[in-house]
Amino acid sequence: MSSRLAIVDGTRTPFCKAGGKLKSVQADDLGAFAVKELLARTGFPAGEIDEMIFGNVAQPIHAANIARVIALKAGLPVDLPAYTVHRNCASGMQAFTSATGVAVVGGTESMSNIPLLYGSHMTELFYHLNRAKTLAQKLKGLAAFRLRFLKPVIGLEQGLTDPVCGLIMGLTAERLSRDFQITREQQDEYALESHHRATRAIEAGRLAEEIIPIPISPKYTEIQQVDEGPRPKQSMEDLQKLKPYFDRKTGTVTVGNSSQITDGAVAALVMPEEKAKALGLQPLGYLHSHAYAALAGDRMGLGPVYATAKLFDKTGFSLDDFDLIELNEAFAAQVLACDRAFSSHEFARIHLGRDQALGGLDPEKMNVNGGAIALGHPVGATGARLIVTLLKELRRRKLHRGLATLCVGGGQGAAFALEVDE
Amino acid sequence: MKAMYTMPPDESGVAHLVLDQSDAKINKLSGAAMAELDALLGSELVSPNIKALVVSSRKPGVFIAGADITEIECIETEADAFEKSRQGQAIFTKLAALRYPTIAVIDGACLGGGLELALACSFRVVTDSDKTKLGLPEVSLGILPGWGGTQRLPRLIGLVQALTMILSGKPVSGSKAERIGLADALVAHEFGAEKAYEFAECCLTGKGRRAILKKRQWHWAGYLWPMRGIIFWKAGANALRKSKGHYPAVPAILSLMKETGFGKIDRGMEKESRAFSQLATTLICRNLIGLFHTDQLLRKETGVASEVDPQPIHSVAVLGAGVMGGGIAWLFSYHNRSVRVKDVSWDAVGKAFAEAAGYYKQLIKLRKVKPHEVALNMHRMTGTLDYSGFDDADMVIEAIVEKMAAKKAVLAEVEEAVSVDAVICSNTSALSISEMGTALKNPSRFVGMHFFNPVNRMPLVEVIAGEASSDQAVASVVALVRALGKTPIVVKDSPGFLVNRILIPYLNEAGLLMQEGVSFERIDRLAEAFGMPMGPCLLADETGVDVGFKVIQELTAVFAPRLQAAPILQKMIEAGLLGKKSGGGFYLHEGKVRTVNPQALEVVGAVGASAVSDAEIIDRLMLIMVNEAAMCLQEGIVKRVDYLDMALIAGIGFPPFRGGLLRYADERGIPEIVRRLNELKTTCGVRFQPAELLMDGRSFYERI
Repeated sequence: MSSRLAIVDGTRTPFCKAGGKLKSVQADDLGAFAVKELLARTGFPAGEIDEMIFGNVAQPIHAANIARVIALKAGLPVDLPAYTVHRNCASGMQAFTSATGVAVVGGTESMSNIPLLYGSHMTELFYHLNRAKTLAQKLKGLAAFRLRFLKPVIGLEQGLTDPVCGLIMGLTAERLSRDFQITREQQDEYALESHHRATRAIEAGRLAEEIIPIPISPKYTEIQQVDEGPRPKQSMEDLQKLKPYFDRKTGTVTVGNSSQITDGAVAALVMPEEKAKALGLQPLGYLHSHAYAALAGDRMGLGPVYATAKLFDKTGFSLDDFDLIELNEAFAAQVLACDRAFSSHEFARIHLGRDQALGGLDPEKMNVNGGAIALGHPVGATGARLIVTLLKELRRRKLHRGLATLCVGGGQGAAFALEVDE
Repeated sequence: MKAMYTMPPDESGVAHLVLDQSDAKINKLSGAAMAELDALLGSELVSPNIKALVVSSRKPGVFIAGADITEIECIETEADAFEKSRQGQAIFTKLAALRYPTIAVIDGACLGGGLELALACSFRVVTDSDKTKLGLPEVSLGILPGWGGTQRLPRLIGLVQALTMILSGKPVSGSKAERIGLADALVAHEFGAEKAYEFAECCLTGKGRRAILKKRQWHWAGYLWPMRGIIFWKAGANALRKSKGHYPAVPAILSLMKETGFGKIDRGMEKESRAFSQLATTLICRNLIGLFHTDQLLRKETGVASEVDPQPIHSVAVLGAGVMGGGIAWLFSYHNRSVRVKDVSWDAVGKAFAEAAGYYKQLIKLRKVKPHEVALNMHRMTGTLDYSGFDDADMVIEAIVEKMAAKKAVLAEVEEAVSVDAVICSNTSALSISEMGTALKNPSRFVGMHFFNPVNRMPLVEVIAGEASSDQAVASVVALVRALGKTPIVVKDSPGFLVNRILIPYLNEAGLLMQEGVSFERIDRLAEAFGMPMGPCLLADETGVDVGFKVIQELTAVFAPRLQAAPILQKMIEAGLLGKKSGGGFYLHEGKVRTVNPQALEVVGAVGASAVSDAEIIDRLMLIMVNEAAMCLQEGIVKRVDYLDMALIAGIGFPPFRGGLLRYADERGIPEIVRRLNELKTTCGVRFQPAELLMDGRSFYERI
């Protein structure tokens, strides 16, 4: 067996809806809260850390190389190198697989703070005004102004749109709903279950084990302790009332059966297994192996199927080898499509080059504490959350191996085989 | 001893005068140094070969720190003072009258007489080093600049800026000096010497000099009526509001600068000397200089008798996230130390963050910090409900509820959670450190560290050495407190420690006076007129009447019969009038406005046409403190008389112009104090029984 990556411990901020409780907290501050608490809880000496790697998708303009900003805000030594990784929704996972030595890894995203931008007309106008030397030139520049120039480019929307196939993520889910004939009702049922599971996990205190309460900067008048997304009183009726958001006429994907736009950060301390053993640490768990795979962007939601197949090829594992599964809930339609693809011999033959289907996804094993539909999907952080959540649940249930897998905008998938030793 | 030397002119004609006091780390303008300068001005510096003179210092971080304060202290008579000021002025006038341009190159502290020397030069070049500070701090010693500062400064930088600098005594940075025209050029500290030489070369030609002078502004406002009147009216109102009329240097500066500043500088100079000489012989000046010396002494105080290396403290943990815990956490984060705050609920922990953020908000308003620095500092704080992260702390400070059993229980837990060499402290204001220490397996690392509320404004921290506390632990706390910019004073472990023990009889006496029908407004007014920052009843409102009463009761248990709680405070508490926090105590507080609380008048009851005179009220309030202070000295609660004075100034804002409680007593004379105490004993009771220590009639300061 090749060397595993020990995940000593992991922790995260509460996940809050964009524009909600944490809207005033920037992504670098979210990350810093998670990192400093991780170090306080593990008690690991900061001087022994070799590098810091953080995933982030929106890359806020005020914090270029956000990993380095987080490291310094969290009080890590000034001589600690840090870099930021980007594999879209898998950025938080990429941070883990990029680590070589002792590393603080994680992901952060403040989707509340993704800016609105000026369009190209307005930008050009500013440019001309800036270069104008005489009043006449300035006036001429100003005369070109039209009210429509003020229409902003919405950064969030742009970020969630695949620039190659031109579809916004929700429309890729609509594709899958058509391909696999997943009805609106099935999607809503799945979404409802996600809320129920998350609510139960909160009530039982399971999520509190991975969350660190954080003060809401910059006012610091309140401490945020819990995830904001899960709706304990969510009903099927309310879900069914919602209009399709992406394809208003013929669609099935609503904001209710999609993941939420969310702010949050996750941090973990990782190191090679031998190092952890040598230091006498008792890691939360291990990353046994992983695989990234790619596919057409307009069906990016099937990423987990491709990535998992690749992981199985690489390791010889089959679905039976996994006790629990975290499959990121980008959209209910996408999760259900993955389930169908996992169980389909035909899909396996045509797309994966396998004789047999990968196997059905047992709902009792999958996303047992709810998923991104209830908890939210801070894109740069989610991948890391799946790892931490899965390991903590394996440990709680005294189980051995879990699969964390997610789809990636632009057409990729990631699959991680995680283990807990007893 | 030699204070300076010259370097002959080079081929361009640039000579150097280098200040470099041979026996010290800094340059001071002592009498001897001034005489040396005078001699040089009559010999080498009048050489015809010199075309320009660069005046600089070889001491890193210091140009000239000022005049020699001990020499000011030695001035006996007004005539002496006048003479000394005139002499200094004459020397600087010679410097100003040299026939070639002179350039002061300031890379470090340039204060008082040092700045007056620089002002007598033709040009000033400053560096941007953090250590470059230019100022005239004389006002803080109760005097005014007496070597031409009040004359040359307004002529150079205008009346408004000059008044600000001289009345506040606050120094300005190099970059600000350049901005307000005090310096002609700002240069990089690292290239100071080269750039200064370039500047000097520029001064060699008339064209170059004119180019520099052209950049200076003419400050017309100071010469024009009515602007001049408005400026003085504004500055006067401001300065008098801050000094409350207790500091004669402030009106003296105002009237001197009002009368002078026009016409020939010589007449102004003479008036300056006259005003200086009147101030230099006052008691207030002597008191303030005395405090300056105490302050210098305290800076070197290690707090312990043996030689130990204080432990560096980089990270701390605070137990209890109340107002004190939050304030302490703020202080550490502000000084860039990581601090972990533990309490029993997240809501409670949140209060510490809110408290700290509140202090930072004030600092942002005052422009002491920038918002992005606040964000970084706030990140030094973390919260927790368990002991996680405590093993990283170099120090733990307990600030939980003031109950011995609770504190002991928590301390025993803490000891299990922290590393073996962490210092453990308690922020108790009254409980015994020695007894609390018994909860620990290793009480030698346990020390009392009593902060005063509000932490951001109160400079004092009482460091309490328990019976078992090691010198190492005490010295570490003392060094840390100083690094946090506070004043540490080591006191013995005894009920009320030092400051509360002296303050409480004063508060209680106010209560007793009220019972005798003296209105609390009158008490407060008299105390404030004496110089206290706020009267005892307002102080009770601010800290909470119940909080004060609780401490009074605790101390009553120990110090009865001489201390007996005034029942009136109990009545206030029963009526729910707890002070500012409950919406009202003796006063109603609405923002910054306060009015007498009619409810309190009812509770206090009949305010008779009391026969107690103003002087008697002040005597009862102050002498009860003097007497208690004497007992503290008797019991060795604090090491030195002047430390006790400093503790009360830093801890309760006892008026500095009085030099401290004990200097005040000395001034009145101990035999007089004893006589008054005996009188009060007959009229008011045994609590005024004079302390044993006073009986020999020796003054307090003879006991140092």
